[in-house]
Amino acid sequence: MKFLKLPANNLPEFILNLRKIGEVHIPIKKGEKSFVFRKMNKPQDISLMQLDYSRTILPLKKYFYHPTETMFEFSRDGFVQPEKPPEVHDIIFGVHACDIHGVLTLDLVFSGKYRDEYYFQRRKNISLIGLSCMPDEFCFCNSMATDYVDTGFDLFFSEIPEAYLVRVGTSKGDDMLNLSRELFEEITHKDINAHKDYSITRKKAFKRSLDIRNLPEIMDLEYESNLWDELGKRCTSCGTCSMVCPTCYCYRIFDDISLDMESGRRRRQWDCCLFRDHAMVAGRHNFRQSRADRFKHRWLHKQQSFAGVFGRPSCVGCGRCIEDCPAKIDIITESNKIQGE
Amino acid sequence: MPKPRIGIYGLTSCAGDQLTILNCEDEILEIASRVDIKSFCLAQTGNEETKLDIALVEGTVSTQKDLERLREIRGRASILVAMGTCACWGGMYTMRNDISRTELLKGVYGENGDKYFDSLPAQPLKNFVKVDLPITGCPIEKKWFLRIFKAFLHGDIIEVPNFSLCSECKLKENECLLVNRGIFCLGPITLAGCKARCPSHNIPCIGCHGPVDEANYAAEVNILLDKEYTLEEIKRKMGFFVFNPDIKQRQ
Repeated sequence: MKFLKLPANNLPEFILNLRKIGEVHIPIKKGEKSFVFRKMNKPQDISLMQLDYSRTILPLKKYFYHPTETMFEFSRDGFVQPEKPPEVHDIIFGVHACDIHGVLTLDLVFSGKYRDEYYFQRRKNISLIGLSCMPDEFCFCNSMATDYVDTGFDLFFSEIPEAYLVRVGTSKGDDMLNLSRELFEEITHKDINAHKDYSITRKKAFKRSLDIRNLPEIMDLEYESNLWDELGKRCTSCGTCSMVCPTCYCYRIFDDISLDMESGRRRRQWDCCLFRDHAMVAGRHNFRQSRADRFKHRWLHKQQSFAGVFGRPSCVGCGRCIEDCPAKIDIITESNKIQGE
Repeated sequence: MPKPRIGIYGLTSCAGDQLTILNCEDEILEIASRVDIKSFCLAQTGNEETKLDIALVEGTVSTQKDLERLREIRGRASILVAMGTCACWGGMYTMRNDISRTELLKGVYGENGDKYFDSLPAQPLKNFVKVDLPITGCPIEKKWFLRIFKAFLHGDIIEVPNFSLCSECKLKENECLLVNRGIFCLGPITLAGCKARCPSHNIPCIGCHGPVDEANYAAEVNILLDKEYTLEEIKRKMGFFVFNPDIKQRQ
């Protein structure tokens, strides 16, 4: 891999140069203490960039897997795909390692037996530029082994004093770097040591930890545990955890008929297994009737059954579900409890 | 195929739901051409009170007259739609149901107030007659009214949102008023459908769409107590739309 150094002062210019090849999205502040990825509409928007943001409200999935989208339009004559918007190259700057892992997880899911073209037609046009981060009180990516990435990014920026150590991940990333090659410098041994120091400091900064090695097994053994009923009582099924989760991917499909009664659109929308109707089938039979059942299902899928299929849990430890849960349900506390700690 | 015969009525209410139908400006002519509107006092004269395929009824039953009218409409309608939060849940009319009607009438109309009107504790339609379909909202959402209307005409399964507001609020990437700012918000137990209109303008949800199916009231109370709101305040604010004794009876 190729590494270069970008002095921190040169960062704005590097980002502005990226606008020559695509739409650039950066983390900005929303509300009093939240953040979102938002498109830069004008060069001055660079001043809104929050390099030390904790996590965005929605993860990156909003870019590839739209909350609501039209799958096709139909009429008596058959169906047609909606007209594709002109292809735009989107570059998302400042993505944390856990979120890149989230995207890689969704790539796995959507590229399975039935490849999801809706997802990939957007995914292929989006470049990710990673950014190192310090954990806050909700982060547990180190426990999920998602605190570093070796793939999934075009460039990755790691903070070192007054500069960034930039790792090139793809040839596309190399092209982006070459747009501003004069802003970059060669790295020195001092930079490597600074990078290593940052890594050590970061490792020590994690306040939470979860042992996932035996978690799938214990969850399986505790399938009938009373813990699920207790959690079912606390949970409001509001669906927040699912919407903000980088790896929740369920959707519902519905038809929106036109008033002419001859045509319509088939649409899909993010769904959540905590919603009562999610597992409802014909005759109003519901496979997961109680909130406790639904809660257990979501959690088991995230930490246990996903691992059974894909070899690792789908949780990336981003901390969104912990920070955003109105009922303060904390996946780490409860997992520790179920593990008997 | 003959056009479905429709009747649109209001009991004790503000007529906001009927008005929402009239506000479907781009679609109203198309709607009118697909159905035979037999009765719609708010919009037309020459109404004909006859057998109906669908009756849309807004408002609460708050008087004996309301009740008689509701039963009469139900008697001649194949499908009865409860339209709006009041018709579906009782809405804000039920806020004073814990006080006797006599006391309320005297309070508003003077010492002899209870002699002038008949008055019943406000209740939603389903407490008296079979409701085939609820369309909630205060007022109803134009989008959902149209979608349900179209699905009905097309003979499809009618799907309405059955999840809480929080998910729609998250999709708008609103900062959570409840979690991040500790503001009293009823999003977790309120039915979605409005695309988080109020929270998107920094105004907390007061629950005007009524409660989500199987709303976890106890959990919401605990969340708010944890934010140091008093039980009194919680009861008062929840009682506005989403939680009242009538609803409790039917859980």
